[in-house]
Amino acid sequence: MRMKTRTQISFVAVTLIALSHFLAADAPPRQIDLNRFPATKLDDVVVPLPSEVFNVLDKLGTPDWRGEMRSPNISSRGARAQIALLLGSVVAEGFVAVEAADKERVKAIGRDVLELARAIGVEKTVLSRTNAIVTNADDGDWIGVRRELDGALSDVKSAMIQLRDDQLAHLVSLGGWLRGTEVLTSIVGKSYSPDGADLLNQPDLLKYFQERLAGMPPRLRNNQLVGKIQRSLNEISPLISQKITPASIKRIHEITSDMVKAINSNA
Amino acid sequence: MLKARFVRRLIIAVSLLVLAGKSSASVDDAIARAMEAISPYVKQGYLVRDDQWGGDLGVKQEQAITHTLFKGNDYWFCTGTDNESAKISIHVYDSRGRLVETDSWQHGRFAGAHLVAPATGTYYVIVEILSSPAERTHWAMVYGYK
Repeated sequence: MRMKTRTQISFVAVTLIALSHFLAADAPPRQIDLNRFPATKLDDVVVPLPSEVFNVLDKLGTPDWRGEMRSPNISSRGARAQIALLLGSVVAEGFVAVEAADKERVKAIGRDVLELARAIGVEKTVLSRTNAIVTNADDGDWIGVRRELDGALSDVKSAMIQLRDDQLAHLVSLGGWLRGTEVLTSIVGKSYSPDGADLLNQPDLLKYFQERLAGMPPRLRNNQLVGKIQRSLNEISPLISQKITPASIKRIHEITSDMVKAINSNA
Repeated sequence: MLKARFVRRLIIAVSLLVLAGKSSASVDDAIARAMEAISPYVKQGYLVRDDQWGGDLGVKQEQAITHTLFKGNDYWFCTGTDNESAKISIHVYDSRGRLVETDSWQHGRFAGAHLVAPATGTYYVIVEILSSPAERTHWAMVYGYK
């Protein structure tokens, strides 16, 4: 009986040792040395969707979303670079309108997205998305509206890449990031908290946008609006590469507000 | 040798026009497998982004995808390969090189890693082909969040 028990204990012990070795063989290292990065990095970074940011903003209490809403001036559009920036910022505006649960504004934004997409030659790509935005807004399906806004942004960028207009696709992303950051700094600035400020810890994303702008062909780099944005990003960069204070939030808000106004101003 | 590269949904679609049929099918298949891996989480309320990242890797080769994650968001990263005999893994590290996932799994050609981002910042999603009968194995990564 005792022999049997010993055998059972030995069997369990051996099994556990074997299992731990097996698990250890496949277990990832707890720490990697980033100076000797073990993996090849992809050239691009993943630009988060607006809904990823607004998902977090949902958890920051109940800001005055109606007070954050702006009316995009899409009739002011000029060159394709401005349209691309405007398109990104209008999609971000759509998320603000969703947070404010403003059906009419969301529907108007859906129509604006379609008009801007038409102006840039990718109307067909977003037609079903913009129709769905209007329908979902009518139904009060805010999750559906968010999904379609994200989808419209992705579809427009993909269509631009397909048309070999990658540079404009980057500007769409940048326009969305600028308007999103303007809203984020407004909300966090009104009720500062370390957790809220932490949302601005996006140095690699900012660096990515700076590199994309720096790598643009002269025809785009020499565009007055693009040049202004490039200088502004250079000003934001040191502010988010250190501890983010109420003063730096205020300054980032001023810079991004200024840029969003420039995107919406007459070309 | 094909270099692992960044691909997105429509770049892949464009690639289909220029690559050989077998290769295109492999990329498509890897995406389908990644979507298969993440499908259980859709039922749990995760929104799956309509974009994919991927490429092709040799055995024991790794690829890192740099991603800004937001504190408090709940993420699942899933990957799959076109080769049913391959074994792939996926893990998430923070900007200080620390493993930050709270859960991960690996089943042959599928793998997943889960975390609730503890801070906003840069993270590295690292995919590795652990074994494969092929010299190069196509892989794709998708993610969902809530």
